[in-house]
Amino acid sequence: MANDNTKNRKAILVTPEVCIGCRACQVACKSWNQLPGIKTKNNGTYQNPPDLASAAFNIIRYSEVPSDKNPVRWLFVSRRCMHCDDAGCMKICPAPGALYRTKEGAVAFDRDKCIGCKLCVNACPFDVPRYDVEGKVTKCHLCFDRIDAGMQPACVKTCPTGALRFGDRAELISTAKKDGFNTIYGEQDLGGLGSIYAFKDAPKLYGMKDDPAIPSSVIFWHTVLKPFAVAGLGGVVAAAAIHYLTVGPHKDEEE
Amino acid sequence: MTNHWIDLKNADVILAMGSNPASNHPISMKWIMRAREKGGKLICVDPRFTQTAAKADLYAPLRSGTDIAFLGGMINYILEKNLYFKEYVVNYTNAAFLVSPDFKGPAELDGLFSGYNEKKRNYDKTTWSYQKDESGIALKDPTLEDPNCVFQLLKKHYARYTLDKVTNITGTPKDKLEAVYELYGSTGKPDRVGTECYAMGWTQHTVGTQNIRAMTIVQMLLGNMGMAGGGINAMRGESNVQGSTDQGLLFHILPGYNPVPNASLPDLATYIEKNTPTTKEPRSVNWWSNRPKYITSYLKAIYGAAATKENDFGYGWLPKLDVGQNGSWLMLFDRMHQGQFEGFFAWGQNPACSGANSNKTRAALAKLKWMVNVNLYDNETGSFWRGPGMNPKDVQTEVFMLPCCSSVEKEGSISNSGRMAQWRYKAVEPVGQSMADAEIANELYFKVKELYKKEGGAFPDPILNLTWDYGEKDAAGKVKHIDIHAVAKEINGYFLEDVYDTKVEPPKLIGKKGDLVTSFPSLQADGTTSCGNWIYCNSYILKDGKEVNMMARRGKDDPTGLGLYPGWAWAWPVNRKIIYNRASVDLQGNPWDPKRPLLKWNEAEKKWVGDVPDGPAPPMGTDGKFPFIMKPDGVASIFGPGLNEGPFPEHYEALECPLEENSMSKQRINPTIKIFGGESDAFYSCDSRYPFVATTYRASEHWQTGCMTRHCSWLLEMQPQNFVEISVELAKELGIKNGEKVIVVSGRGEVEAVAMVSERFKPFKLENSTVHQVGLTWHFGWQFPEDGSGFDSANLLTPTVGDANTMIPESKAFMVNVRKA
Amino acid sequence: MAEMVRKSSSDEIINHWIMALSCILLIISGYGFLFQIEGIGSLFGGFNAMKTVHNWLGVVFVLSLLYSMGHYFKDALEYDDDDRQWFKVAGGYLSHKVKVPPMGKYNPGQKLYYLAILAAGIAIALSGFAIWLIQDNAGLILLAHLVHNLAFCIFIIAVPVHIYLGTLANPGTFQIMVNGMVPLELARKRYPKWMKAAGKM
Repeated sequence: MANDNTKNRKAILVTPEVCIGCRACQVACKSWNQLPGIKTKNNGTYQNPPDLASAAFNIIRYSEVPSDKNPVRWLFVSRRCMHCDDAGCMKICPAPGALYRTKEGAVAFDRDKCIGCKLCVNACPFDVPRYDVEGKVTKCHLCFDRIDAGMQPACVKTCPTGALRFGDRAELISTAKKDGFNTIYGEQDLGGLGSIYAFKDAPKLYGMKDDPAIPSSVIFWHTVLKPFAVAGLGGVVAAAAIHYLTVGPHKDEEE
Repeated sequence: MTNHWIDLKNADVILAMGSNPASNHPISMKWIMRAREKGGKLICVDPRFTQTAAKADLYAPLRSGTDIAFLGGMINYILEKNLYFKEYVVNYTNAAFLVSPDFKGPAELDGLFSGYNEKKRNYDKTTWSYQKDESGIALKDPTLEDPNCVFQLLKKHYARYTLDKVTNITGTPKDKLEAVYELYGSTGKPDRVGTECYAMGWTQHTVGTQNIRAMTIVQMLLGNMGMAGGGINAMRGESNVQGSTDQGLLFHILPGYNPVPNASLPDLATYIEKNTPTTKEPRSVNWWSNRPKYITSYLKAIYGAAATKENDFGYGWLPKLDVGQNGSWLMLFDRMHQGQFEGFFAWGQNPACSGANSNKTRAALAKLKWMVNVNLYDNETGSFWRGPGMNPKDVQTEVFMLPCCSSVEKEGSISNSGRMAQWRYKAVEPVGQSMADAEIANELYFKVKELYKKEGGAFPDPILNLTWDYGEKDAAGKVKHIDIHAVAKEINGYFLEDVYDTKVEPPKLIGKKGDLVTSFPSLQADGTTSCGNWIYCNSYILKDGKEVNMMARRGKDDPTGLGLYPGWAWAWPVNRKIIYNRASVDLQGNPWDPKRPLLKWNEAEKKWVGDVPDGPAPPMGTDGKFPFIMKPDGVASIFGPGLNEGPFPEHYEALECPLEENSMSKQRINPTIKIFGGESDAFYSCDSRYPFVATTYRASEHWQTGCMTRHCSWLLEMQPQNFVEISVELAKELGIKNGEKVIVVSGRGEVEAVAMVSERFKPFKLENSTVHQVGLTWHFGWQFPEDGSGFDSANLLTPTVGDANTMIPESKAFMVNVRKA
Repeated sequence: MAEMVRKSSSDEIINHWIMALSCILLIISGYGFLFQIEGIGSLFGGFNAMKTVHNWLGVVFVLSLLYSMGHYFKDALEYDDDDRQWFKVAGGYLSHKVKVPPMGKYNPGQKLYYLAILAAGIAIALSGFAIWLIQDNAGLILLAHLVHNLAFCIFIIAVPVHIYLGTLANPGTFQIMVNGMVPLELARKRYPKWMKAAGKM
């Protein structure tokens, strides 16, 4: 369901197989977006901060899975906004322009327009949006400001190995497939994601959600309740008008 | 590096052993991944399943400190299975050389080589020599069959390193061991190349130098030296450590790897005689025969007009070591600890955290009268007097803090591991009162000079005669600000007179007085040229009448497709990207591997095409010269008599080890290491108080002691605290849970850390025992974060013992205990 | 001048209008949020201001709704046979020819309407507060969001019906919410049982 505005859609292709877990992407993101350092503690893992945060638009998830040839298999997966084509956050957002689609097809935000209702946080299938101390939405915005200036997103620019690539979405997908990655996570999900992942194993191994979807209540609300809110009001007004014209106002009986 | 970073992409097999490029040299992984994309294989050998291991095609664990056993087994495997590159080995190495029949090795002497002196803990190396003919040239047996030839001795030496033996020492599963040997051994074919990346994981051992030697033997057997995608590549731990070593950082070398004179060399002639190798081999270039030119030009650079032929070019003003004196790190701090120093400049370093056995280092600092801390930030060194265990009232050391600016706040060059000097520009003005190091040195120099002028002093000449023409001077003759280009040009060197090539008739003008020297073959031994560092000669040249800073070049052409980028910056020597590159061709000058033609001899034009060749001599088959031009023999040394513990690397256990016996021989530890006997230097092997092997390492997020990176909140966010990685098995044994605080203890100290329990460490199953190993980072210090939440340095645990040749401390293998906090 | 009877007290009237006004503003701003209507947003001084207004009007609305229970709740729970008969003839709204049984102060339509508004009002308020105040409980917030919107659907049906029946459909009714008075004559016709109970018939 590619939108008109996303015909020339750009994307970030994440290839965890090539990621070395150096986390230059985390630093580059913070540097470009001038995000403050978070006071953390070591929780017995390299992963820090433990999850996305208002001051951490991307993180590397470190996970250990069993291996048949080594003591363990250690996976590094970049986690960030997925820039869904069918974006739950945008769908539920009540404030026009607070979350918006960039011309590259990414989902960006406008702090000034955000009303801080936090609904987007809950409608996101990937638990991505966060709120900063002022109660405004923050998340990866695919560095639309850098892209506008002809540059790559900060994380992609700094990635030494090509685990993060930025470019024309269709091209990225076909290149990844040519390179032998038979699973492109996000190729079709949610209308096609803007952060796509190239895998040779099942995405689930890498901690990716099977069949990501916008919560069904949000879908029901969007497809049934919203139209009803218009149709219902219109219907009632029309019914009253018809009633007034056909039956007419109440007449008190003459004694 | 014999090669360079980008060259990693040309390899068929990359062995990351003694290094963790994914964590500590992430950019190198860019090129390693390129190699893998083309079908190259990455092997990772490490005690711990690292980020590099996670990307490797083949991972093999080994117990810390057993690299020689591992590599010895590889040498044995290569020889047994005939995987070596015979043509290369015969022609380009000393494999065919006949060694003195009196030479004996560990196979015969139970772990020792002939000539050992137990009392002095050193060797008389007389028997470690070649049989020579009447003209003084080494005898050779190109069939490699003579029992005294290097090849046969090598075979005998490493025949003891069988798979079973090795596996019982290293704890590496046998199938993994064999898989590594087989894969790496596959690069012995002319059209396959393997490279090795090492770092502190190899150097910081009592057998550090021999670890690397063992690998050079592998590389020579497989014909991987001098090849694109081959070589032995030291991944430097600091961005400019290559540059600082080139410029004479270490106590025993002057700039350009000229030895520091000692008291037995009273004049320049003796210095030259003792330090200039000679050879009777007519086909050896013996490049170091140029030593007289380099040392004389160096003296002219630093003493200028004051250096005359009559006064030995000021040789007498150079500082001299006592004969046999070792001025390396451990020795310096040992003497400081004994109260033998008055003052100390901690310049761009943090010894209170970086030095092995930091408690000793910290105690040593308290014995000083004064200390100057030149750094970006105050650190554990500058604040040692208020550190843990210190009573400020008892510390008499006066500490001065000189804030210096960071690399982006000044202009100058940085030399990376690939020997490439890149010019960088000032991006922002220095913060506050901070100054560039050169400016601090400038202020210091003129103040010291003024005092010497005023007060005289014991030996003012070296200071008073020093050249310092680095910019505009004020009325008092002091340089106002350092012109860093003037420094760079002095390093490159000048013609001090009109210099002629007198070998041709009529003599041809090589350089005009006052001009920059174009390249080191133009340097002279008669005082008519100056050069601050001969290997950097050619870095700042005169071209078409204009001075050109070669290091500032930014050409992006790659004519060979091998990633040499000859127009980008400048690499020493003379922009040669891969040294010993004449070993990449056969005797006729054709590349061993036509797919990777690093060099090719063009017979018609009588010249080499490709990289800057190691000398212009034609190929060996056409009456040319041997390719290993820095070696007096002209060939690479499989038999290496230069090192202190023997010509072939032999496995010895670390000073602190978990085993009662070295299963290779009766010699448990390196017989030539210096044993420090002080109370603070205690060490414990097979002691139930310290039952686990430990190693130290770095994480991607911090740099060295963390002095710079701990102050960056973005980095601290990712790695906020010291951590110790522990196997699931050991954690279970000790009742330690992942993420809980523990204390790691050694015979020298203890440090807190967060336990990171994972499958990445596994216990090592040895012949009769199971050995547990843990590992921790040395990035943290008590001084910052100020709340102490980062804990302290892992170097509080490491032992005071160093490599037998370099004295690099053994911080990669020692014994500890771990207990719940 | 004809004799008048008081049907609504003044505090009931004031409360009714507080409730009505807040309800209508909530519905309008609700539409603004639902369809991201910029025009509505600017009426309130932008979406950020509108959110604040919407949240606090919600407080006003629910307080007035709760206060109204004192006026209507008891009546709304009592039904008799006439009420049941009233349903059968659809309150006479669909035809003026049917015979509508005698009613008390409120007819069952009004009573049920009140109960519906009360239930929907409490639901919309509670869910609104949940969206406003709850942190980090996606399940609950999404449930609240759904309830808020379901209740909204009840409001946008019920409120216009109420307005129509209270104005155009029943001339004279609107007066009650202005001064609380009904002409005695009219009251006897419309609320005979109430009048009887009050001894005015």
